[in-house]
Amino acid sequence: MKEPANPAGSIAPTVGVADPRTIAIDLDDTLNNFTETLRHAAYPFTPADGLPEATFHHYLEGIRQDAPEAGDLLSTEYSFLRYKVHAQCYRQARARADGVAFMRWLRRNHWRIVICTQRDLRRAHDDTRAWLAERDIPFDYLFMARNKIVFCKAWGIRHLVDDDGFNLAHGGRYDVNVYYPIMPKHQSLPAHTARGFRTFEEVQRWIQG
Amino acid sequence: MDPRISLLQEFSRGFIPGTAKVETEQYGFPFLDRLLSDGASLEYGELTATRLLHKYKLVNLSARRMDELLQLHITKECNVCRYFDASANNVFCFNLDNNHKTNNTAVIPEITLALRGLRDCLVDRGLMPLIVASGRGYHVWCRLNEPVDNNRLYQFMLRAAVHALLPFHGRGYDHKAVKFNFYPDIKAHNVVSLRLFGSDHAKNKVFSRVLTPDRLLGEAASWDYFGDFLRNKAIPSARFTAAFNALPALL
Repeated sequence: MKEPANPAGSIAPTVGVADPRTIAIDLDDTLNNFTETLRHAAYPFTPADGLPEATFHHYLEGIRQDAPEAGDLLSTEYSFLRYKVHAQCYRQARARADGVAFMRWLRRNHWRIVICTQRDLRRAHDDTRAWLAERDIPFDYLFMARNKIVFCKAWGIRHLVDDDGFNLAHGGRYDVNVYYPIMPKHQSLPAHTARGFRTFEEVQRWIQG
Repeated sequence: MDPRISLLQEFSRGFIPGTAKVETEQYGFPFLDRLLSDGASLEYGELTATRLLHKYKLVNLSARRMDELLQLHITKECNVCRYFDASANNVFCFNLDNNHKTNNTAVIPEITLALRGLRDCLVDRGLMPLIVASGRGYHVWCRLNEPVDNNRLYQFMLRAAVHALLPFHGRGYDHKAVKFNFYPDIKAHNVVSLRLFGSDHAKNKVFSRVLTPDRLLGEAASWDYFGDFLRNKAIPSARFTAAFNALPALL
């Protein structure tokens, strides 16, 4: 394909060419308090949800505890309610003030910022962008990825801020520096090279080093 | 210009202009910069769980860039998915998928039964569908000779889907094994997109072959059928109205 007449066909991907001033940042439980919101925010029963009240409360309790759904079906009443509850949490979650300051520092210092989330952005895109805009949180790109280590490796991103134990465990092996907000769930993880932080000022220091 | 592009342009005329989702195994910032170099914006990107398959929802695509993407769609270098208009459309589509977490590219008996019921429901009322193997099931497209309000389309699809599932009763089949999605979706018109005919499924690399009452057509015959569908199978408004009224309303 001739450039630029064809935008995609023959463009060779730049696999593994690391850009030192690009960073990927997670949203839920990294920049915000998603799980706390999920556990405690009110989500009242309404017949519009289309469920018997007892079933609704049973499902809601499972969703609050992040319980996996039994069975082999993809799309169910439970998964639909979970989507709606999560969507509310995306809107209501509180941003970490030091995280917001960190993002603005990245912008002032000309970092390329990739918001990298496991959210289903097909449905959560509008809420996600609105939440970021309302808090004046800068970013360049919005990506969803289940495996963020593969994503960072493929896109040449050397820094990832994320709370997921999988990323803590596997980042080092693939030359992705992972920084995570220290949480109780991290205490039981096997040895890893990720760096835990209490405030984003620490990450700011580390990525300049 | 490749005549197949003209067919896809004709088919796509009512979709949201300048908006598409592109599925490709290409990635990286230089690639993205080129993808956006003609004034387009990335709404969001996705790394899927299938190999290094990426999806990019693009907005503000120029007509020229959209045509280039369609050419790449035809040559199977990417897939182009389009979004339905927010208010009215001259095409609508039932998307029947295998609703299982595992082995969901298998065509299960429930899909076959639901598809047969749906096709009979449409054909018996004079609505000739284009049925395309989608990879996880089938896309059942209908094309009207003029746009119809999305709410009316949605109500029609709901009624037709219920009709299609009636044979499940008493035969030991579970309707939950089939995931029915309707396009345009009145609750999420700008959220969900549908892959255009004429490319390979991103996951299993199977071409979007047309299914006739007799058989699954090969690639060339599928393109011929698609051309004929565009030229000769548009549904007159009066026939759609009659079909709508003939299907019982839901409570």
